[in-house]
Parts: sequence; structure tokens; C-alpha cells
Amino acid sequence: MHGIISKPSTLTRVLIAAAIGACMTMRATWAEPISITLEFEPDLDNGRQVYAICATCHLPEGWGNADGTYPQLAGQHRNVLIRQLLNIRDGKRDNPLMYPFVQERTIGGYQSLADVVAYIATLPMTPEHDLGPWAEGSEEYTTGQRIYASHCAACHGPEGLGNNSHYYPRLQGQHYSYMVRQIDLVKRILRRVDPAMEAVVKTLDDTQLRYVLNYVSRLPVAKQDLAPSIDWRNPDFR
Amino acid sequence: MTDKINRRRFLQFSAASLLGATASAAGAPAGPDTSPATPFIAGLSSRQAPLPRASGPRVVVVGGGWAGLTLAKYLKRFQPKFDVVLIDRHALFVSCPLSNLWMAQQIPLEFLAHSYLDAARNNDYLFFNATVIDLDRGARRLHTEQGYIHYDYLVLAPGIDYDYARLGVDDPADEYALRTDYPAGFTGASELLTIKNKLQGFKGGTFLLTVPAGNYRCMAAPYERACMAAAIFRKRGIKGRVLLLDMNPDVRIKRDGFLNAFKTFYPDIIQYETSVGISAIDPRKRELSTDFDDYGFDDAAIYPPVRASRLLERLELADMNTPQKEARIDPFKYHLLGDEHVYICGDARSQPFSKSGNTANSEAKYVAEVIVAHADGRAIPWRSPQTMCFSGVHIDPLEAMSIIAFYRYDKRQKTFAFDRTHMVEKWSARIGQAGLAWGEGMYRDMFYG
Repeated sequence: MHGIISKPSTLTRVLIAAAIGACMTMRATWAEPISITLEFEPDLDNGRQVYAICATCHLPEGWGNADGTYPQLAGQHRNVLIRQLLNIRDGKRDNPLMYPFVQERTIGGYQSLADVVAYIATLPMTPEHDLGPWAEGSEEYTTGQRIYASHCAACHGPEGLGNNSHYYPRLQGQHYSYMVRQIDLVKRILRRVDPAMEAVVKTLDDTQLRYVLNYVSRLPVAKQDLAPSIDWRNPDFR
Repeated sequence: MTDKINRRRFLQFSAASLLGATASAAGAPAGPDTSPATPFIAGLSSRQAPLPRASGPRVVVVGGGWAGLTLAKYLKRFQPKFDVVLIDRHALFVSCPLSNLWMAQQIPLEFLAHSYLDAARNNDYLFFNATVIDLDRGARRLHTEQGYIHYDYLVLAPGIDYDYARLGVDDPADEYALRTDYPAGFTGASELLTIKNKLQGFKGGTFLLTVPAGNYRCMAAPYERACMAAAIFRKRGIKGRVLLLDMNPDVRIKRDGFLNAFKTFYPDIIQYETSVGISAIDPRKRELSTDFDDYGFDDAAIYPPVRASRLLERLELADMNTPQKEARIDPFKYHLLGDEHVYICGDARSQPFSKSGNTANSEAKYVAEVIVAHADGRAIPWRSPQTMCFSGVHIDPLEAMSIIAFYRYDKRQKTFAFDRTHMVEKWSARIGQAGLAWGEGMYRDMFYG
């Protein structure tokens, strides 16, 4: 931890919220959560070394699986990644297999988390992620496009770029199959997410959700963010 | 016939006792006046197992290993209406994966031992500590030594058995001696404890380990065990040699890493021989013969080739013409050919996937979804299991290598092949720690999550 640094663009913010249990006191004000923000300057070299642990499952490229069992991590916003790591670490996001990997004894403290998410954010994305079944121009695609504009674009952006400082995930380039699985978990309240997101998922039926995810999976990714080919291998792990 | 219930006799007795059975709600055995000579076991065919009444479509999972535990949890999770029963003849789970590290005192036994009661309570299914003795697929009844269970879906995940005949051991007395005196350590807690006691109590001389041919359980384990045995001998300061005889022409997995580890850490301890064609083993003289050589040993853990669990054979589901005696199942949907209510999962599967805990865990989640979809009249696309394995090569601190691999179906060759793989043969303490996290996550998934 390097204290407050004057170049916020290079920082990964880590938000730690602590709540003092209501049972400890009758005074309601004591039960209010206390939020503090710690800032870390990421060390990419350490991030690469820490990522070796992640790569045992997520592979060196962090591209995820077309079958939806792993997400594309490459190119995701640092704050989004670190929030997921912290949510899995404290059990807010249920992931029993990953849980021990994100504990301090395995992956290290906040600095290591900051380092590894900064590293992941630099990785080029797969040029061939899993697409939904309906091509551009089809009725399903157009319906999905319309739903996206009315329900999703306000937070995730018209191009699906998300927003690092607001913790909104980048959606473009994510595997259709992965998004279907996750949204299904949210729908069945097996995964808790931001209340606004939960409300949107509740509003839409399964078919509408498939259409919008199909559209999302077909949002273009800027060429400079993509690996040159599907055969590209992360040279850091060669 | 010694370990096989004579099916025809069993069914005859079943019929007799059914005729003689009273309508007792308690499911009492048949009345003494009608079938006084009926053996106890036959009376079971008319008695329901002592389980709560099914609260929904009943899915029975046989075998509380990595596949069965995962299936039971995710069947219930994906379809809460299912009434899921997990059956195992053991009352305690002890993990084979990571047990080599326990032998070398890198983790305590509590790391490996877990309660089936916890698994059932935490994941909202029933655990039934019983032994399966017969299957009536027409009536969808599974018979145990405590009575029968009606099922809507049945999943058999019984794992493997050893096949000593493929080591050239045919005499039951010799097989018994090998099983008892030189256990392989891949099918049960007692074997693991015995091997640990052997390694920790070894007085010196030659300790023999073998690597079987074929698709054996846990590809990397025999090589890892050689490293752990050598590390134990060095730590204890005894003059012990590890003789690792491999029936294969080369190290089967993480080849460069293991050969490098043998050379770097244990050049004076591990003697590694390849393409060893074992022709005979004399457990009393402690001698192993090949076509070219005889090897003497002072103690051993001998790993024979494996086959699908004999339970499949007893239930008349095994194809005895296949080398490892698996059942004939749909390679993508896992059900018995011609019966979409009976599935086979885990190491007893007929597909050539690596037989490992991680493979079984990932596969079982898919099979659970297949069954849920079938019950809904849907179908889901096939997806690959994933094989993931960490191998310790050094202790204090633990240092390990890793591999992850997926599979794809090769339409031309009509078989499965490795797809994407990521192998880390440069061992490190970081990967060692990751290996422990992997195990912890798996036990969390199966028992506590």
C-alpha cells in the first residue's frame, strides 16, 4: 500500500465496508456501516506472478470458455474484477471452488488483488468469443437491441463498455453462454447483484433475456483490444 | 460367484417372499408360515428401505465419491423439486486426491476426511449409508441390504476396482496378499492409512511403487507418490530407495517436470524404470518378475490396472468385452443405451477421460443438468469435463506443478481428445499453495457450500 497517490488514473480503488453488528448496542447509529476507501498503486510485475495462480484454472490468456463455465476476464475493468474477488472472498458471491483461491493465504492481501486485476485488465481479449444464436438483422437481434437500449445502456453504455469508476462491467466480448448462466442464477436468486440489475432481470422474461444477451454478445470490440488471432498465447507464461 | 449374488436365485426368492408378504405397513419380513426357509436377504426385496417418503421425483445416486457428492448437490440445486438420495456403503468420506501430501505430513487428516451427514444437511438431500445389492430396471427399484428404493432417475457413480488379473495375478490367495500387504491406495481410506504407516515406518531398503498401464485413476499420482516417499525417507534420515516401475514407455503426464524433479531432488533415492512388463509378483518372497529382470523389494504399494467398479458387473450392466469392463452409455448424455432413467458418471464412465476427482466434479455438474433437462422434456448441449491436477514434488515447503485440460470430440476418429491444456511443469510454492486451495474448494463444493 502506497497511500494516496496523485495520479488517480493509475490507481485501483479498493472499497472495504465494515458493519458494526446491531446486537452489540442499542444505539442505532452504531449499526451503520462504516466505509473506508483504500487506494493501491498496482504493480504489474507482481500482478503477472500472482496471475500464475489464477491461470491454473482461467488459463494464461484469461479468455474463458465458449461453454459458459468460465468468463472472459481479459480486458475487464479493474474495479469490476476486484469487486468480484472481494465478493467471492467474503462469501457474498457464492463460488465454493474459487473461494479458497481468493483468500489471503493463497492470493495475498489487497495489494496483490490490486496488482492482479491491473494485470488482467491489460490482457488482449479473445477474437472469437461465444455468440448468441441470432445474427444481426434478425427479428430476435433487433428485439434484443431495443431491450438493451431501454434497460441496459444507461449503466453499461451504448457500446457495452461498462464503467470502471462505477463498477459497471464491460459486456462486449463476454461469452453468450456465460452471460446466460449468470443471468439465470440471478433470476433464481442464486447470485446476488446490484439491486438495479436485479430489478432489470426481474422485469424481463427468459426469452427477452436471451434476446438481449444475444445482442450483447454481438456488440463489437475495438480491434486494438483483441489478440491478433485465436492462436495467440500469453508470452508471460511461455 | 463368490462375490456375486446369484441373480436368478435372488429373483426367485424375491417372488416367493412377495407372495408370502403380509400387507404390513411396517414392511415386516414375510410370515414364517409361508416361507420359513427364505433367507433374510430375499425378504428384503419386499421391504422398502427405511427412508422418508419421497417428496418429489426421486433421484437416487449410488456412490459418494467426487461424482456422486457433486451430483446429489447440484441435482437438488438445479431442480429443488427432486428428492435426492445419495447412497454409499462407507460412513465417512476420505479423499484420495491430496492424500500423498498427507502421507508426507503437509496436511492433516482433517483436510481429507469429511462427513456425509454434513454434505446431506448442507445441501438438502438424504444420505443413506447402505450397500447396493441388485437393480430391477423394469420396476425402477434399487435393492440395498436394508430394503429397496423406488427411483425416477438412478445415477451410478461407483468408481473403479482393481484388476489384479492384468498383473498376471490369478490365484485368489496371491491377490488377497497383494491387496492386504501391498495395497495400491486408490480406493479407500484403509489403504491410504496403511501406505502412510509403511512410509513413515520404513526401516530402509527398497520401497517398490508401480505405475499401471491403461486408463488408471489419477494419472500423476504414482509419480507424485514417488517424490513424496523419497522426501519422507530423506526427512527421516533413513537409507531408503524408491523403485518406481512403470508399465508405460514413459511418464504419462507432466513428463519433463517429473523427470526433472526426480533428477533435481531425489537422484540418489528414486530409481525409475519404464516399459516394465510385469509377468509375476510373489508377495511372500517379495519379488516382482518381468520378462528380463527380477526385482526384490522390502516393502511396496503395488498399483494394478483398474476397471469399472464390479458393482456394474453385479448389476449386469458391464460390457465384459471392453478392457476396463465399463457399461455401454451414451457418451454425451451418460445414460445407459436404451434407458434414459439410468446414468453412469465418474470414473466408471466408458469415455476415455482422465479418471480424477476434478474430472468427476465438473462432469457431475453437467450430468445433473442433463437429468434436470430430461425431466423437463428439454435437452442441453454437451460440454467438456475438465481435468485439473496438482502434483507435489517437494515438501517443507510444499512445491507443486499443475495441469488443466479440456476435451473435444473428434468426429473423424470418433473419440475424445484433449482440447486446450495448460501445464505448469516449473514447480513452485505458489502452485503448491494453489493445489491446497483447489482441494479446499472442492471439499467446500461437495460438503459445505
